[in-house]
Amino acid sequence: MSLPPLLSITDLDVQYRTAGGTVSALSGIDLDVARGRTLAVVGESGSGKSTVALALMGLLPVEANVARGRIDYDGTDLLTLSDEQRRTLRGSRMALVFQDPFSVLNPSMRIGAQIGEGLVHHRGLSKDAAHARAIELLAEVGIAGPAAIANAYPHELSGGMRQRALIAGALAAEPDFLILDEPTTALDVTVEAQILDLLRDLQAKRGLSMLFITHNLGVVRQIADEVAVLYAGQIVERGITQDVFEAPRHPYTKGLLAAIPRLAQRHKRLASIPGRLPDLRTPPTGCCFAARCPFAKVACGTQQQLLAIAGRQVRCVRAEDVQAEPWPIIADSDAEAAEPCRDASAAGPVVEVANLHKTFRLTSGLAALKFEGWRPVSRPIEVRAIDSVSLTIAAGEVLGLVGESGCGKTTLGRTILRLIDPDSGRIEIAGSEVTCVAQPRLADMRARAQIVFQNPDSSLNPRKTIGAIIARPLVRFDIVPAGQIEARVRALLDLVRLPAHYANRYPHQLSGGEKQRVGIARAIATNPQFIVCDEPVSALDVSVQAAIVNLLRDLRDRLGVAYLFISHDISVVAHLADRIAVMYRGRIVEIGTAEEVLNPPMHPYTEALLSAVPSVDGRDHNRIRLPLESRLSLKQTGCNFAGRCPRRIGEICDTTSPPQLVLSATHRIDCHLDLAKSVQRFSK
Amino acid sequence: MAAALPDIDARPAGKPWPLQLKIGFAIVATIVVLSLLAPWIAPHPWDTISIRTRFRPPSATYWLGTDDYGRDVLSRLLMGGRLSLAMGLGATLVSVAIGVPVGLAAGYFRGWIDEVLMRAADILMAIPAIMLGLLVLAVTPPALWKTALAVGFVYIPPIARVTRAVTLGLASEEFVQAARARAESSAYILFAEILPNAWPPLIVEASLRVTYAILLGSALSFLGLGAQPPSSDWGLMISEARAFLDRAPWIALAPGLAMCLLVIGINLMGDGLRERLDPRLKSRLAKT
Repeated sequence: MSLPPLLSITDLDVQYRTAGGTVSALSGIDLDVARGRTLAVVGESGSGKSTVALALMGLLPVEANVARGRIDYDGTDLLTLSDEQRRTLRGSRMALVFQDPFSVLNPSMRIGAQIGEGLVHHRGLSKDAAHARAIELLAEVGIAGPAAIANAYPHELSGGMRQRALIAGALAAEPDFLILDEPTTALDVTVEAQILDLLRDLQAKRGLSMLFITHNLGVVRQIADEVAVLYAGQIVERGITQDVFEAPRHPYTKGLLAAIPRLAQRHKRLASIPGRLPDLRTPPTGCCFAARCPFAKVACGTQQQLLAIAGRQVRCVRAEDVQAEPWPIIADSDAEAAEPCRDASAAGPVVEVANLHKTFRLTSGLAALKFEGWRPVSRPIEVRAIDSVSLTIAAGEVLGLVGESGCGKTTLGRTILRLIDPDSGRIEIAGSEVTCVAQPRLADMRARAQIVFQNPDSSLNPRKTIGAIIARPLVRFDIVPAGQIEARVRALLDLVRLPAHYANRYPHQLSGGEKQRVGIARAIATNPQFIVCDEPVSALDVSVQAAIVNLLRDLRDRLGVAYLFISHDISVVAHLADRIAVMYRGRIVEIGTAEEVLNPPMHPYTEALLSAVPSVDGRDHNRIRLPLESRLSLKQTGCNFAGRCPRRIGEICDTTSPPQLVLSATHRIDCHLDLAKSVQRFSK
Repeated sequence: MAAALPDIDARPAGKPWPLQLKIGFAIVATIVVLSLLAPWIAPHPWDTISIRTRFRPPSATYWLGTDDYGRDVLSRLLMGGRLSLAMGLGATLVSVAIGVPVGLAAGYFRGWIDEVLMRAADILMAIPAIMLGLLVLAVTPPALWKTALAVGFVYIPPIARVTRAVTLGLASEEFVQAARARAESSAYILFAEILPNAWPPLIVEASLRVTYAILLGSALSFLGLGAQPPSSDWGLMISEARAFLDRAPWIALAPGLAMCLLVIGINLMGDGLRERLDPRLKSRLAKT
């Protein structure tokens, strides 16, 4: 290509002034985005990727300081422009799509007005003209009934619709350059897949150049022409997406790719990257990744330069030497087995749930009153969070529970533990019924059944030391005599592979993965037979996620504890679960052994979920796309999934509840499908 | 996003004190120390009446002059500081001791408990503070401890409301759910899990309440319902001096200025503490 790149960043350094010293968030960043192409900047949290976006848009916070470098946009250095000039550029040629579609839209403004806002201010359009244009844009981003949506408020839209509206808003100014900061992170996979399709279409149609910022390598593989891998504020590898993914050269890229759970290799142990980001207030003098790198040698103690190797750039002197070596999978079972392995075949199931129901009322009291003629009647808006769910979990078994956000999976986990009270049904834990037992008398069950939470930042009390947090269940349930508590805490820390001196630390001194380990230690402290793992890895980076999944697997093997492993990510579930239950709008639509559920996915929803997972190992365009869901449809009859089902049969789906089709002793689906035909389809 | 800001050692203890906090602390500490040492450092006896030295303007002997009974204003001011401070702190202790448990219970249990407690607080709030104080003190003989109790009672609702608001947010945190999953008692959850995290905004609120309590207490003393002559309370001193405002303004001015200084000091301290302790402010700073 003869044209110069549309955007080129040269030797950019950005520093943050903080109370603890100066943090170099970005150092020596070189990036080019060619016209009509997509560059992905990928990195884990703290790598500085969002700072790249903010620096480009001129939206850096006051304590940030661009120490060096230039950002050339179509021949002009953005850093020399005045604030006013940059503002004009932002409003016209560059646009930014933010991460969280739930908080970016102003809740008190109609969608159409928000999209048209920029047109009125920057282009001087009349309000009517701007509104008309907003409707066109909404249609362009694939929203059905754009005129109605333009008059809606943000809370009336689902997450996917909001993200589309945000993209429409970004397009309003007719930009030629789009910066997308984690645009799909807050969305379900099925919706994410559609947004990626949309972005590809828009790029082809409008010739957009895109800078795509994400932590999700699967998404990068699906959308980016080129990729830059960011680590600790430095680019460690940069090249054509396909080349980088198929033959990663930098050890960090290798590690990241190896840590991703893949459906095809679900019996293998996941690779993980040990350690954590270096402290950027005092960056290491040598290679910033050396401390975590299994290939590190003496030469890594010196400052690393970006080297051109095989058509790409790699910041590693040893890249050529270790080219053929794969990322090692550390067995990390060095910790001595302090626990005797419980007999996994202990009699009977640990958890039995039958016909469980839970309905939440969104409106109650006066707000629920509607007038029928002259007569007021109470018509509360209800959401069936759990709708006749029955399941059993055997001792030492892992039942994976997958489903998209809002399907009721977290409610189910907490209801089984009686943290939420069920409306009806039966819950039995370790042979005793707990459905209606009063809270104070649940202590015995609580010792047997524990929970690990999703958010490591909120699951540990910030005012207590790690030691106190882990010791509390020991004291509460009299697990060990007072004199042995300290020793037991050390043993538990060792079991989750944390050093014993962590007992004196406070939660904020730990990284996300370490906090999650403490959460796990707290749960296993009571020697439970059953643990609800409520999205235990979804708040963590890939490299850390792998280590936690491995740890959970080891603990299961060693302690014989059963899990209900809840996740929205079917590939993580597939890695750990013996059996998988798929949940959709409060119902379990498919349940069976992992093998039965995944190969092949019989229920249309399972099939769609699987096909939406962005693969890191290749691009796949023939994926199933589910239509967007109208928010809170109040349909009471027929199949919940009928409205979005790609294999909808006909009227029967809307009128009759799907029957339970039993495929084997362990496998059943709720669907009207003709089983014989489905089996035939998959055997082809 | 907190881009590249590892907060490994960002313990609150390591942060520098904001300027307001330093100034406020200096003012308050000075007043407290001087008041505590009053019996030993007062240049003259605070309660000795002397006709010969009535209405002396400030001089080298009487730094702040003398009052209508010939008593040294500075000595009375120092002694009066003890009563005013005791009043402020005592009243705040009362309101915290009742308001915090009420707010915790309302915010954690929600439902009818919340409704009953908060409506009761609303009723208490609807009665003007001075009226309530008058009501309590008018029917029984006035005494300082009763004034403190009455003032403390008046400030229960604001403390309870702040506590409830903080509790509402904390109750949905996962560490509280984890405590419930351990079958912990409600008392343990409220006082061992939630309360330690609720302290920062409560300390700020309570420190500001101290100033209100001092002012209200002084106002009640001014009306003759608090400290009784001949004891010296700043409010009472102003009350006694108001008749001579034209002849000897210094008698009223000294306690007035002292009260201003104390209130400003405590307010500065409260603002400074808020800046340093309030997690909401902290997270906002961390985000940018």
